[in-house]
Amino acid sequence: MAEVIVETRNLSKVYRDFWGRQKVRALKALDLEIRQGEIFGLLGPNGSGKTTTIKLLLGLLFPTSGQALVFGRDATDVSKNERLGYLPEESYLYRFLNAEETLDFYGRLFDMPTAVRKKRSAELIDLVGLNLAKRRQLKEYSKGMARRLGLAQALINDPELIMLDEPTSGLDPIGTREMKDLILKLKAQGKTVLMCSHLLADVQDVCDRIAILHQGELKELGRVDSLLKVRDETQIRAKGLSESAQAEIRSVIERHHGSVLTMDNPTTTLEELFLSIVRDSEARPGRRAKQDN
Amino acid sequence: MVLDSDPVAFSNWIVPALLSFLTSAATLCAVALVGGYLISAFRYGPVGGGDVIYRMVLGGVRDLIALSPRRILALAWLAVQESLRRRVLVGFGIFLLILLFAGWFLDTQSNDPATLYLSFVLTATTYLVLLIALFLSAFSLPADIKNHTIYTIVTKPVRSGEIVLGRIVGFAVIGTVLLAVMGLFSYVFVIRVLNHTHEVDVASLRPVPNDPNGDRAGRTSLAQNHRHTLKIGPDGTGSTDMVQGHFHEVTAQESGDKTTYVVGPPQGLLTARVPAYGDLRFKDRAGKASDRGISVGKEWKYHSYVEGATLAKAIWTFSDITPERFPDGLPVEMTIRVFRSYKGDIEKGIRGSLVLKNPRTGRASDEKFFIAKDFYIDFLKIPRNLTDPTGKPLDLFDDLVSDGQVEVWMQCLDASQYLGVAKGDLYLRSRDASFTLNFIKSYLGIWVQMLLVTSLGVMFSTFLSGPVAMMATLASLVLGFKAQFVLGVAKGAIEGGGPVESFIRIVKQQNVTTQLEPGLTTTVVKWADSVFMSFMTAITGLLPNFNQFSNVSYVAHGFDIPPDAVLVQVFSAAGYVIAALAIGYLFLRTREVAR
Repeated sequence: MAEVIVETRNLSKVYRDFWGRQKVRALKALDLEIRQGEIFGLLGPNGSGKTTTIKLLLGLLFPTSGQALVFGRDATDVSKNERLGYLPEESYLYRFLNAEETLDFYGRLFDMPTAVRKKRSAELIDLVGLNLAKRRQLKEYSKGMARRLGLAQALINDPELIMLDEPTSGLDPIGTREMKDLILKLKAQGKTVLMCSHLLADVQDVCDRIAILHQGELKELGRVDSLLKVRDETQIRAKGLSESAQAEIRSVIERHHGSVLTMDNPTTTLEELFLSIVRDSEARPGRRAKQDN
Repeated sequence: MVLDSDPVAFSNWIVPALLSFLTSAATLCAVALVGGYLISAFRYGPVGGGDVIYRMVLGGVRDLIALSPRRILALAWLAVQESLRRRVLVGFGIFLLILLFAGWFLDTQSNDPATLYLSFVLTATTYLVLLIALFLSAFSLPADIKNHTIYTIVTKPVRSGEIVLGRIVGFAVIGTVLLAVMGLFSYVFVIRVLNHTHEVDVASLRPVPNDPNGDRAGRTSLAQNHRHTLKIGPDGTGSTDMVQGHFHEVTAQESGDKTTYVVGPPQGLLTARVPAYGDLRFKDRAGKASDRGISVGKEWKYHSYVEGATLAKAIWTFSDITPERFPDGLPVEMTIRVFRSYKGDIEKGIRGSLVLKNPRTGRASDEKFFIAKDFYIDFLKIPRNLTDPTGKPLDLFDDLVSDGQVEVWMQCLDASQYLGVAKGDLYLRSRDASFTLNFIKSYLGIWVQMLLVTSLGVMFSTFLSGPVAMMATLASLVLGFKAQFVLGVAKGAIEGGGPVESFIRIVKQQNVTTQLEPGLTTTVVKWADSVFMSFMTAITGLLPNFNQFSNVSYVAHGFDIPPDAVLVQVFSAAGYVIAALAIGYLFLRTREVAR
């Protein structure tokens, strides 16, 4: 079994006010394991705790209780960042720098020598398609361009684990497609990707496993294909049947005539699953949805 | 320039200073550890708390080892870019405007224009640069946290210490460049403003009556609100008198039967005299040895006084007096304070006399007289060839110096009047150092202050929001400049009580010397004040005393900034920067930047 890259044990986060009074329980006893080479999606409505989870894993927040481990080290240990790339929700970059300066700056933060930085920056600018705009200040960038550069800075150190917060937000359909292809490419290179997104179709397209959070609680966890399987229905797709054959389809099933191309469980869309979980959770708070992974 | 404390020798200062630094550092570490443990123990229990502290200390050591110059420089570069984007150059524009319009506000009739212009440019530069440093340093990190740009920094292998240090370095670079450019402009400004010449008023030239040399005397034209009288010898060279702290050389040039006079540039305006100080002791009015003179009850305790027409004397012993060092005799300069027990003729100074004595044989020269006025430098040249009180000739080095030492005995001659002296008030002007170098040294003092403000600003910004960090830094700056006064209030040396008592006096319009009515209110007020005052003592003890880093008065009054003073400034500033760095690191490391 592949190595565990990210692990949370009973991870909880409570936001308190200045006087130490509890304001929000943002995350409740989260247990997760993300293994090497998989694309893991964190889903949930606004305020469900997915960004809190990512921030806890990055060490931007400290857990109230429980543990967040990345590469087996505590998430607050800075040295884990050597092997990690992070694309924030919005591309929080310095607007007064240009693309080359930005990548060079982040490269220096990884203590990379000049030659390596130059090579890597050029490759990444090429990869995200910003060659024509690499000398323009970021304040002139469109949201999509800033997003691409955000991804480039996340990859500057050729990380083993990449955390993507809303990777496709602000991208046009082509950009979205390219981003998804890139994520799959990263997986093909053996990298681990943890992403959270509101765009369910994107998650459905790329993720191997997902966790659905609602109000800080884990509601669903499992492989995308098995989660979306509808077990009490059967779907048959056939080809080359004549009118009469189609009329006989029911008897075909009974008597095994005709050539059945597929006969399996149809899938629902992730969107439907997601909405049903949220509705269910709101109706019965505190209860974990069906366990099926 | 009047010193208000003995000049500090770096070699005497460094060891106690280092010890006090280490003690403070150890105390702060202990307080941080115990405080941190108590908070962690409260949150995670006694064992969990201990574990947190252990990991914190271990992480701190690891972070220190992992410090990377490349990362620090990258962050410094970012701070420089950010400063440029925040239009730091506007500050320089303001400086140029101040210089351009300075002439409108400065007193052109001043008796000492060099002091005036020098203190003006140095003070203007100090305040402007400190203000820029304050704004840059206090707002930078909070802005990064607010804009979330810090997320992309702290998710890289960047240590909190590198973020703090990188910012300090970056803003210091900006400050250094600004200071260098401002310094250059100030230098040119001062030189150009002070430079002037005169014409010789030929009609005024008359032979000096009864002068065996055949000198002629006259006066110059009016320039920069003053004129000089001048004397020219038969060889066609001469010089003017000292006015506004300078003189000019004058030469006559013959062309055919016409004589033209050329007045040279001002001399002696911009100097950096290097004083050689002696050790001071006293004799009281009965002639008995004493460590100090009489206290006249003034607040200024550094000076003590010699009573007139008594046996009281102030005695300086100078060492290392050799003919090689002083080939033309001893150039004595004095800034003697005056205290009158009756008014007398206020226009006239108080008379005093100096006698040189051999410390071993006791042989003495005859008296040299001077007139002392407050805040005025008196010059007295003691020639090599002197006479003793009986009129016998004496050689300064052969008869009065023994083992390189000579004593100068000062006496006040007017009965019931007093002369105030301290170690630094009478010195030998051993040589003149380069003014340009002195000017640069004064900018080093401003640079050190800029570095301190930057470090404090960045330190406060690690745990406070931008405006609050700025206010905290500003408060430290004001407290640092007014440390003497605040300490005076805190120690009860200044009349009127502590903050609460003073407030009550203001409200009741009560003067500072009357006692508060005894009773419960007064007891409570005094108690509250004692709490405030111990807090004030602690705060002033912790914050840097900014006046200590200012060299303006040295340069403005034409004194060389002692290299020891510069060393003391640089080393004490380094202590504060290290402390600010450590505190900033601790706060940033324990802070959740995503909140």
